[in-house]
Amino acid sequence: MLATILSLIPGDAAGAANHTPPAGVTYLFCGLLVGLILCLAFEERLHAKKSIIAGLFAVVCLLLGAAFHILPFQDVLIGAIPISLPEGLLPSDWSPAHHIYGGEHAVHMPVYIPAVDWGVIAIILGSSLFVDVTSRSGLFTWIAIRLTKLSGGDPRKLLWFYGLMTVVFSAVLNNVTAMIIVGSLSAVSLGKLKRSNLLLAFLLTEGLLTNIGGLLTLISSVPNIIVGQAAGISFVRFFIVASPFVLVTTLLTLWMAVRVFKIPRLSGVPERLEAEELVASFDENDGIDSVGFFWFGAAMLALFIAVIATTSVLPWVSSLGMGYVALSFALIMLLRYRSSADRFYQTVDWDLLGFFGALFVVIYVMEHAQVLHLIGQGVGLLLGLGPNGSTASLLVSAAGFSSVTDNIPLAAMLANILKAQAAQAPELISSGHWWAVIFGANLGGNLTPIGSASTLVAVTVMHKHKLPLSFIGFVAKALPYATLHLFIAVLYVLFVVPFLA
Amino acid sequence: MDKVDQFESVFRSATKELFHYGILPIRTVLIVTDLCGSPAERFAAKVRALMATVRNGDECSFVTIDGERFTSAKDLLDLVEAQRPDLIASYRCLHSEAWRWAFTLGAHIDVLTQSTTTPVLLMPHPDDSGEAAGSESTVKTDRVMAVTDHLTGDEHLVNAALAFTEPSGTLFLTHVEDDATFERYLGVVGRIPEIDTEFARELIETQLLKEPHDYIRSVSAALRLANVACTIEELVSMGSHVKEYKALVEANQVDLLVLNTKDEDQSAMHGLAYPLAVELRDTPLLML
Repeated sequence: MLATILSLIPGDAAGAANHTPPAGVTYLFCGLLVGLILCLAFEERLHAKKSIIAGLFAVVCLLLGAAFHILPFQDVLIGAIPISLPEGLLPSDWSPAHHIYGGEHAVHMPVYIPAVDWGVIAIILGSSLFVDVTSRSGLFTWIAIRLTKLSGGDPRKLLWFYGLMTVVFSAVLNNVTAMIIVGSLSAVSLGKLKRSNLLLAFLLTEGLLTNIGGLLTLISSVPNIIVGQAAGISFVRFFIVASPFVLVTTLLTLWMAVRVFKIPRLSGVPERLEAEELVASFDENDGIDSVGFFWFGAAMLALFIAVIATTSVLPWVSSLGMGYVALSFALIMLLRYRSSADRFYQTVDWDLLGFFGALFVVIYVMEHAQVLHLIGQGVGLLLGLGPNGSTASLLVSAAGFSSVTDNIPLAAMLANILKAQAAQAPELISSGHWWAVIFGANLGGNLTPIGSASTLVAVTVMHKHKLPLSFIGFVAKALPYATLHLFIAVLYVLFVVPFLA
Repeated sequence: MDKVDQFESVFRSATKELFHYGILPIRTVLIVTDLCGSPAERFAAKVRALMATVRNGDECSFVTIDGERFTSAKDLLDLVEAQRPDLIASYRCLHSEAWRWAFTLGAHIDVLTQSTTTPVLLMPHPDDSGEAAGSESTVKTDRVMAVTDHLTGDEHLVNAALAFTEPSGTLFLTHVEDDATFERYLGVVGRIPEIDTEFARELIETQLLKEPHDYIRSVSAALRLANVACTIEELVSMGSHVKEYKALVEANQVDLLVLNTKDEDQSAMHGLAYPLAVELRDTPLLML
């Protein structure tokens, strides 16, 4: 293997970037990409964090990329602006599709720095910090406990309330945080109500709903952010397109869960009184250290959603992007804990951020190794199936892939491919294709326990509470729901999205 | 999944033990004395005077067993078994001179508190005429203190203390978290590099004191709901059990101390109850 690699390496490793590498080099990087996907799929078996796996692949990819002269090591131009030249001064090969830039200055930057999509990293870092600090206000636990009390301890009402809360929290926060909040509440409240036998049903349903709720807004899940940014979909447009689907599938999922898992209602006055008393022992104000901060947190959350939703139209802010908004809001919230802000920095999911950083680097190298072009040819075959066939097959295959491996690399890869295809042949790419990737990448997570980070959290909570559910067991229980979700999604993307998008 | 655990802790912390007000039924009081004749009568009168201040105490019937009717603990247990009272009123070191020294409760009281489920009202030891030292404090229950090292969820203790608190009186609900045990665990935490010792101290201490505080709040709320007149005072702190309680009893001029004596893990009296019962000889004790 090493000899094969060495035979492919050109003599002058420090030479200029070669953007059309030999086919052997492309296949070598293809192999690395498959290796990365397989390692991520077997992350648990390897006992390695995502950031370590992706980081190692990024290191190897960069080294080989340098060795094969496929990476651009030139200085990066900063501050370039389009300029207009008189017709006589235009180059002979100029066309209106090409801009001429000027006013820039060159900066030397390591090749892996511009490889990272810092906008996405900023959104994830900022919103996770913002959510973490806001949760200290007691706002989310207050909402969760109020709903628990409102249910009167009735298991069926509880499932409906927790299900709807999962969807809303997934949409407003992110699906992993939503699953953590609702999953841990389910474990505690069902234990209190002496209904721990229903915990598996609750966690499974909530796990499935996180991926549906993750479709509601542009910032609800990472694939949404990546594909949405690439496709130029605004927050409001995203919500308008996705919300009817989310509403219908949420109601259907909960209706099915009640029947499949035989979630009972309370029968008789004594049972109702006992349950009411048990839920009454929850104190929604327990987590509120300061009423002022509680209301500040609530106001800031509403403002955060409003500003994120309108980022694309707000003057000045639109130029700075959603990452700027998320980081700014996180910073404002951190003022409350200004002397102990480092504690919040410790709680940031650095594994996730490291994973994204490394993943962007890997994909950047893959782009220069023409691997994305190669996959794009495969996607081109799908696009050749006609508008409906290509959209449906793209959605189903995206779901299939994201069910066995992380949906983030899939989303990042497909976003890059579709973007390149749209630049080359805009007539082939419709809004339906972008939405097919979004729906497929999110809903694929419902097929297996490793399909999305939030279902993985659901399974972790199950194991924590000694609820045995194997990989196959999860698939068997989740398959009817996932199939229904995908079926509705295909119909929705084909027949409803064109009118809304 | 640190965050799952973090949120489970938040929700567990929000689950509070709620107090339910209940009336302690005391219909029959068995007065046990080693005195005979008029001294025994005087002691019985003292008990009746104290019981008159108890909620629904005027509905009680009293039976007196004087010193002639028993000598051994076995005799006394047989008499108690025959009467099946709701409350036994007596004093330390029956048929013994050991009451003069603060080292023991005497065999009879030891056996009574552990082998029956009936609460024992332990009065200050009377002199030969049946009068007790500190006689003034034995006829009112204006200031009652419930004593425990684990107040949260102990409805029986609180309801018993409430039953013995005059309607216009004050019930001190106390919870002293043992300093020595806390320091022992913190000492271990201090040797674990992964745990920030000062942070752990702050958080654990706050949580340990928060639980009884929340429970006392729920007692006040339940009494308001049930229209029960009584002033509730909260005394929750860290400290050395016996030392702290002796100081609290003195500082608050307590008329009656209510405490648990049963310990599920042992047949001997509860570790906190025995030293208090032995040392606080001038204050009436209700031993549950």
